[in-house]
Amino acid sequence: MRGAGAVGVKNARLNLRLEGWRSRLLLLTLLACFVGLIGRAAWLQGFHSGFLQQKGDERYSRVLEMPASRGIIHDRNGQPLAISIPSESIWASREDIDLSEPQRAQLATLLGMSDAELKQRIDNGHGNFVYLKRQVPAAVAQQVMALRIPGLFEQHGYHRGYPKGEETAHLVGFTDADDRGQEGVELAYQSQLAGQSGARRVIKDRAGHVIDEVEDIRAPHPGRDITLSVDARAQHLAYRELRNAIVQHQAKAGAVVILDTQTGEILALANYPDYDPNNRDHLSGAQLRNRALTDTFEPGSTMKPFTIATALESGKVTPTTVIPTGNGQMSIGPALIRDTHPAAALTVAQVIQHSSNVGAAHIALSLPPESMWNMFTDVGFGQAPKLGFPGEAGGRVRPFRTWRPIEQATMAYGNGISVSLIQLARAYTIFADDGMLRPLSLMRVTKPQPGRRVISSKTAHEVTDMLELVVSPEGTAPQAQVKGYRVAGKTGTAHKVVGGRYANRYVASFVGFAPASAPRLLIAVMIDEPSGSAYYGGQVAAPVFASLMGNLLQSLGVPPDDPATSAFAQPIAPLKAAGL
Amino acid sequence: MLSTLATPRLLRAEYDRTLLWIVLTLLALGVVMVYSASIASAEADRHIGYRSSYFFVRQLAYVAAALVAGAAAFQIPVQRWQRLAPWLFGVGLAGLLLVLIPGLGKEVNGSRRWLSLGLLNLQPSEFMKFAVVLYAADYTVRKAAFMHSFKKGFFPMGLVMFLVGFLLLREPDFGALAVMTAITAAILFLGGLNWRLFVVLMVLLTIGFVLLVVLSPYRFNRLVWFWNPWADPFGKGYQLTHALIAFGHGGWLGVGLGASVEKQLYLPEAHTDFLMAVIAEELGFVGVLFTIGLFVFLVWRAFSIGNRAASMERYFAALTAQGVGVWFAVQTVVNMGVNMGMLPTKGLTLPLLSYGGSGIVANVVALAVLLRVDFESRQMLRRRSP
Repeated sequence: MRGAGAVGVKNARLNLRLEGWRSRLLLLTLLACFVGLIGRAAWLQGFHSGFLQQKGDERYSRVLEMPASRGIIHDRNGQPLAISIPSESIWASREDIDLSEPQRAQLATLLGMSDAELKQRIDNGHGNFVYLKRQVPAAVAQQVMALRIPGLFEQHGYHRGYPKGEETAHLVGFTDADDRGQEGVELAYQSQLAGQSGARRVIKDRAGHVIDEVEDIRAPHPGRDITLSVDARAQHLAYRELRNAIVQHQAKAGAVVILDTQTGEILALANYPDYDPNNRDHLSGAQLRNRALTDTFEPGSTMKPFTIATALESGKVTPTTVIPTGNGQMSIGPALIRDTHPAAALTVAQVIQHSSNVGAAHIALSLPPESMWNMFTDVGFGQAPKLGFPGEAGGRVRPFRTWRPIEQATMAYGNGISVSLIQLARAYTIFADDGMLRPLSLMRVTKPQPGRRVISSKTAHEVTDMLELVVSPEGTAPQAQVKGYRVAGKTGTAHKVVGGRYANRYVASFVGFAPASAPRLLIAVMIDEPSGSAYYGGQVAAPVFASLMGNLLQSLGVPPDDPATSAFAQPIAPLKAAGL
Repeated sequence: MLSTLATPRLLRAEYDRTLLWIVLTLLALGVVMVYSASIASAEADRHIGYRSSYFFVRQLAYVAAALVAGAAAFQIPVQRWQRLAPWLFGVGLAGLLLVLIPGLGKEVNGSRRWLSLGLLNLQPSEFMKFAVVLYAADYTVRKAAFMHSFKKGFFPMGLVMFLVGFLLLREPDFGALAVMTAITAAILFLGGLNWRLFVVLMVLLTIGFVLLVVLSPYRFNRLVWFWNPWADPFGKGYQLTHALIAFGHGGWLGVGLGASVEKQLYLPEAHTDFLMAVIAEELGFVGVLFTIGLFVFLVWRAFSIGNRAASMERYFAALTAQGVGVWFAVQTVVNMGVNMGMLPTKGLTLPLLSYGGSGIVANVVALAVLLRVDFESRQMLRRRSP
């Protein structure tokens, strides 16, 4: 075999002729292939590249949203009530996430959830994209990203912080995980507060990381800051006093509204029960309710001044007109109206001072129903105050044509009609502001809003004088007195309607303003179902009023107008001119 | 005739420096592009510890090893290579057999192409290509007298290649089979195989390959989807559409070294079979043209070295040189054709550039033998010229 091979090689030497045409042909063929490749490359890279680049963009070019920060909510003095804090959302790509057991345990700890919960989040659910945790503080997000887990990403954003917590919870409200207003001012002023997010085009790798920025399509516009009429200090005091009173009187709920009588600005709006807007894990509807706006109640005796004002306006009575009060009892058909403190006869002023139902009913029945109805609707009952809050209640004022005499009589002292606390507070500003009714404002106003005259200046002053009597030692609310200031106000103690019948549950209220000689502040207090021994408005609500009013008037530097009880030697008149 | 070749310029150097520089340039380009193409996938790979330079470092080591192996191969006279040819072929066959034995062969992506040798994985088919060049050249020289005969000239070689093909298809490694078949056919053709017989054989081979493709659902699918990858761009057309997008994204001048988007985990096998797409994206048409130019020069040089050896009646050397040229040309054309969507996807690397130790070592050794052929030609010319 080997021998034959050797012969073969020898023969080959003789016979082998490598013909030149063969290698030339082969080489040409191969070169032609290369030329074909070059042509194809030129087609792909030059002439057809538009199509291919478009296909490429579809795969890896993405428009990303650039979050804009939300506007800050300030109180009237610039204190922040809601701020935007940069935060990260941690999300995962279900297809790409690749983490070991110890890594998952580490991640769960950082995100503050159990390992099982995290595993469930990653494994169960539809789609590739899943938020593992939103609104993670930047420092924590940094630690998470340091784990270098493939398929785990962070998304920049902002979350809301509420420095005043529970105090301003109902007023300011809160936003959802996407930074949209859900409650309160956050919702009412969503369009101003919300920023306009920007957009940029980026190139992402297959795992979703941004690897290149192509263009800025739109720069983000931060939302506008807003300044509320609310005074953080007044709000703090209102919240504190309200909570104390509710605890003390074992009440179910309550609300306080403080208004600037000259401008219609809301200085405070407190509710209880409350919640912490910074931690809303276990929220109930009861906690969320902004009762001052959303809950209506039968106001009871706080309605009497409007009945009296109607009568005074009609000219049928003066403050000194004597009204027979039939020893505290009055029959209308089968119904009986009673007074707590029976008297044979009272002046109109005394009807207010002693809160006589019989007197108020007597006066009401001398008036045409239409004039009372006009008064009630003129001061805003029956219509929502239109502050932009969700669920603002309008209350109920039935059309006067349907009123029966007994209904007209009971409406005179606030039964058969329902109002919200904020409506009641606003209505009282007609007495404090010379008969004018101004729109309420949640925003700080630089000059008073134009008002509308509801009653004459004379009637306003006459009713104010009567309301001053209420806080006198002979009135129903001596506990509403404020040292150094003349106070005008009215108590209310109404039975609650439960299942269509009046039950032995009460809503205690007090609405008042001061200084009576030149009113600055109006405070309305409502305590729902005080279940201790005291339940009258004069016992339960009036002390809250007095404490708040005294504190705030002094801090505002309002000159005392009652030298008799003043702590100051003399009223300091010039300060008032300074506009404090 | 000799006097025309024996120009003073040729004799000034002892070896083909230009070819050497071409090879070194291709190797360097490969190392850079493998690094660029593999960073993203390496950083995302838990199994290699997210080391971005994992493939780069290895490719560097492979190139170093290949240069050492090449330098050693260059020392071996062509005559000895001829004597070694059947033995090398035998060793190669054994290697192809060994990868099929469970436990020895290592399976990656459904193919058993690798021999696990502790630290290193060896791919016998890469070395087999080199062995086929030597063996076919030796065979042709031995059987020169029977090149007109089917039975005595073609049949024995055809039988051997059938065995090789059978083993390769068991892995499966269709790409390697295609390259080896092309090498064998080309060498037989160059060696004077009756051209009518050759045409018939080509037709038969074509039918054979078509049957192989049609009868194997996995290859048939690839073929179908290669015709219209956009019909299922996220499924079967995924890899090819991404390769095409890379070419389009690169445009005339490229997006710049390191700036490929497709390598960011979109394009699978970016640093191996689809390295050309990354080159096209980062360096543009200009880069593609440059790379093709280097290969064209290399192939042309192999053929002229072969022609000169033939003119000096060194037939084995001539066929070996041109066989190496055919090998590089075919593998390059097929790889680039696949990258550009002109040929169905098959697992063929870009010679000298793609990541992979066996391929680079085999490539460089083959080129060292090519340089050796030229070196010996020059030596002989020197001795003959005054």
